[in-house]
Amino acid sequence: MKQIQIDNPIIEVEDLRFYYGESRAIHGVDLKFPEKQVTALIGPSGCGKSTLLRCFNRMNDLIDISRVEGKVILDGESIYDKSTDVIELRRKVGMVFQKSNPFPKSIYENVIYGLRIAGEKDKAFLDERVENSLKGAALWDEVKDRLQDSALGLSGGQMQRLCIARAIAVNPSVILMDEPCSALDPKSTARVEELIGELRKDFTIIIVTHNMQQAARVSDFTAFLFEGDLIEFGVTKQLFVKPAKKQTEDYITGRFG
Amino acid sequence: MNQAFRKKIKRNDQLAKWIITVGGMAIIFSVILILVLIAKVSLPLFLPPDSELYASNRLDNAAEVSAVAMDEYLETGYSIDASGLVSFFNIKDGSPLDHEQLSSDTGRQALVSVETFGRLQHALLWDDGSLTIEQVKFSPFFDEQNNNKRSIVHRIEQQAVFDSPTQGMPLRTLARIDEEGQQTRVDLFSANSLHVKILAVTESMFGDEEISEAEEQLEVIFKGDISALAISDDGKQLFAGSDQGELARWDLSDMDEIGLVESFQAFGDGRSITALNMVLGDISLAVGDETGQVTSWFPVRDETGNRTLTRIHDLSLHEGAVRSLARSSQDKTVISLGSQGLNFDHMTSERELLTLNPQDDIRIYQLTTRGDAIIALSDKGELLSWKLDIPHPEINFGTLFGKVWYEGYDKPVYAWQSSSASDDYEPKLSLSPLIFGTLKGTFYAMLFAVPLAIFGAIYTSQFARPRLRGIVKPTVEVMAAIPTVIIGFLAALWLAPLVERTLGSMFLSMILIPAALMVSILIWQAARKLEPLKRVERGFEFLAVVPVIIMAVAVASMLGPGMENLFFDGNLKQWLFSEMGVRYDPRNCIIIAFAMGFAVIPIIFTIAEDSLSNVPPNLKAASLALGASRWQTVWRVILPSASPGIFAGTMIGFGRAVGETMIVLMATGNTAIMDLSIFNGMRPLSANIAVEIPEAPVDGSLYRTLFLSAVILFIMTFIVNTVAEIVRQRLRAKYGRF
Repeated sequence: MKQIQIDNPIIEVEDLRFYYGESRAIHGVDLKFPEKQVTALIGPSGCGKSTLLRCFNRMNDLIDISRVEGKVILDGESIYDKSTDVIELRRKVGMVFQKSNPFPKSIYENVIYGLRIAGEKDKAFLDERVENSLKGAALWDEVKDRLQDSALGLSGGQMQRLCIARAIAVNPSVILMDEPCSALDPKSTARVEELIGELRKDFTIIIVTHNMQQAARVSDFTAFLFEGDLIEFGVTKQLFVKPAKKQTEDYITGRFG
Repeated sequence: MNQAFRKKIKRNDQLAKWIITVGGMAIIFSVILILVLIAKVSLPLFLPPDSELYASNRLDNAAEVSAVAMDEYLETGYSIDASGLVSFFNIKDGSPLDHEQLSSDTGRQALVSVETFGRLQHALLWDDGSLTIEQVKFSPFFDEQNNNKRSIVHRIEQQAVFDSPTQGMPLRTLARIDEEGQQTRVDLFSANSLHVKILAVTESMFGDEEISEAEEQLEVIFKGDISALAISDDGKQLFAGSDQGELARWDLSDMDEIGLVESFQAFGDGRSITALNMVLGDISLAVGDETGQVTSWFPVRDETGNRTLTRIHDLSLHEGAVRSLARSSQDKTVISLGSQGLNFDHMTSERELLTLNPQDDIRIYQLTTRGDAIIALSDKGELLSWKLDIPHPEINFGTLFGKVWYEGYDKPVYAWQSSSASDDYEPKLSLSPLIFGTLKGTFYAMLFAVPLAIFGAIYTSQFARPRLRGIVKPTVEVMAAIPTVIIGFLAALWLAPLVERTLGSMFLSMILIPAALMVSILIWQAARKLEPLKRVERGFEFLAVVPVIIMAVAVASMLGPGMENLFFDGNLKQWLFSEMGVRYDPRNCIIIAFAMGFAVIPIIFTIAEDSLSNVPPNLKAASLALGASRWQTVWRVILPSASPGIFAGTMIGFGRAVGETMIVLMATGNTAIMDLSIFNGMRPLSANIAVEIPEAPVDGSLYRTLFLSAVILFIMTFIVNTVAEIVRQRLRAKYGRF
């Protein structure tokens, strides 16, 4: 497979294999994610793209029977080392889930959750962070008058943007997005996509998506996975216009998947 | 889909809807019905007393009559006139039956006064100063020749004869004869001269009769004149009141040491005491005065340890002076006669039960021995008899829930003591200690059960491996299936003696277990980095904890006796009593907390575990992805989200503990005391019902009070459940969207 040159990778994946019990979900993936760029992971259902994404903040640890081999290097440190503090890692690698999952708390409390659990108590600092994060997630104007209201009263799109605000409030270097728009209507989807475009200035974003158009719209780089293998990785424009692999072409032209 | 099939589906839907509706309504209906049925039994406690004029006749020689009375069958009445003639008559129509002429031992046939006491006993004072005690006895007779027709037959029995006193004619006389035949006569002469004569017949071991006699001039240190006298039925206590508000008490129980016990100003305003009588039981004294106030008094221990007569209950207030006082021989009812007629008061409950106020002034009256009817003679010769319906005179709000000053107590108390060997006992039916007992037992049980159950549920649902959870949860649920009688049995017969024996060790382990856990956690923090331990770390922490707890208990049981020797003079229980003033009951709240906690834990655990497990995994994931530790996630996200369920579980557990009967019955000691101490037992409502209902006479006060306590229990659980449901709804609105 032809490797494209990534100058300043923030995450390097080396020969990553992932097992659910005895069955292997990812068969030796090598990848480099460029800093402050949007990388999309695409592929048909069950190809391992979500599993791969969850390897980057070790959310897969929650699954008892899972096992990881190979290396994921973040900022020059292997995150599967014994000395790695998972909590510290997850602070650096934020995550936005497929289904918006705000806590049953106020909007304010939702945003500062990550700071609260880190022991932050300074009220002024928290207020400022809430404002910045909500502005960053393009939600501030809609909720600034009802920060103390329950987050569960927001609309679906607002909830998802709140989750993004919550993720960026702890100031991570990477944000993982696992099909963030799959449960949203087209209008909300457009807003989130617009937001991703804004966020790339400050954060490295890795987004899993089913939606090829979305990948084409929002990402700078795209990785195509198929049945646990990385088939092709490249600059989005090139990959969509002139895929190197037949499988990639079949997939993006909608012949399967 | 064809038409017929669609119809069938529709029909089945309708049918199911009906069955469900009917079933639901039936449940609601049955619950309400049960409440109504229970409440219906207890309701008569609060019905007002009632009287009904039973018969009204005229007595021709009314002015001559000095006593009237009737039998307890309300068939035969009689009058005693000044010549000593006892005339029997039919109550209903007043037709005369037969006569019997009484006379004194000396043959006199002129009566000065008649005093009635006990069971239709009359002390007749003849005009030469001699005195006889006559008892009129009624009994039903079934005539076998005449188709077993029932009639009431009567006879008059002379019980005692007293000679005339040497001092001449007394102003007033009281006489009694007790069950052993001891005769007591008290005479009041002019100038406060009070004379007592006691005649006792004792039988020696060889069957010889020996008569001992005592005669005494009693010491009287009154300012005014004696205006009222009362003597107890056994003749052992004598009371007098003066026209200047003073009361005096003499002890006549020891023939060799007859003497004044106390004499004091009872009423500061110097009001004249116009009537005295004993209340049933010979403990309380009813006092009537010229202002019309009726009060009750009994000796209470004061600071110096002496017993002095103390004003306890204030009963009726008449207009004008109290003319006379009488008592019921069934309960603590006091009857007082004033210018406005007869008042019935119950002493304990201070309830004004009834007023009988016929047109003409009542001169003499007599209650039947059963206390359910009264006959009265007016000064115009009208002879009236009433049937009385006073079902539960001792019950009112005050006696059910308040502090009551019972006879023989040094101060008002909350007390439950429903029965005793003697009939003249004052029943103590305060529900407060029982409600307190229920809440106390529940409190300690919840104190033990709630943390264990909830933390257990948190561990199993959030930290333990699913396989472990699959074992633990059904096991705990099996706990709920253990019959409570077995838990109670074990608690009472195995746990209680064990805890009593090893009290020191038990307390020591309460300190040592948490301490050992803390230490082991610190060690674990340091050791977890080691490779072999890593495999145990997740979901199997409990394996490391079990030996720590066992070790802590073992160390505690080894050190316990030593600690008791060292710090508590060798016996913790003794030390608690002597140093802290805490009495240790073998069946106490520690036992209850364990036993009832054991019964409640499965319920709380199961419900809490379910609601914790049902928190959406994506909330947990969101929290973890933000860098929260497992514990932070549980504390900040899982627990609030599961709080409606946990709360509901706790409340259902609470309801269960409130209603729990068998365990508390067996392991509480059933002492109705109001003491928060963990070393004392209690008597909860439920156990009380179970203990006493088999012995309670149907429709009696106790029986109805027990039903009332069932209503209270019902209402308590109803309130708890309602509040729980409201809180749960609120929590759900706040935290839940699932």
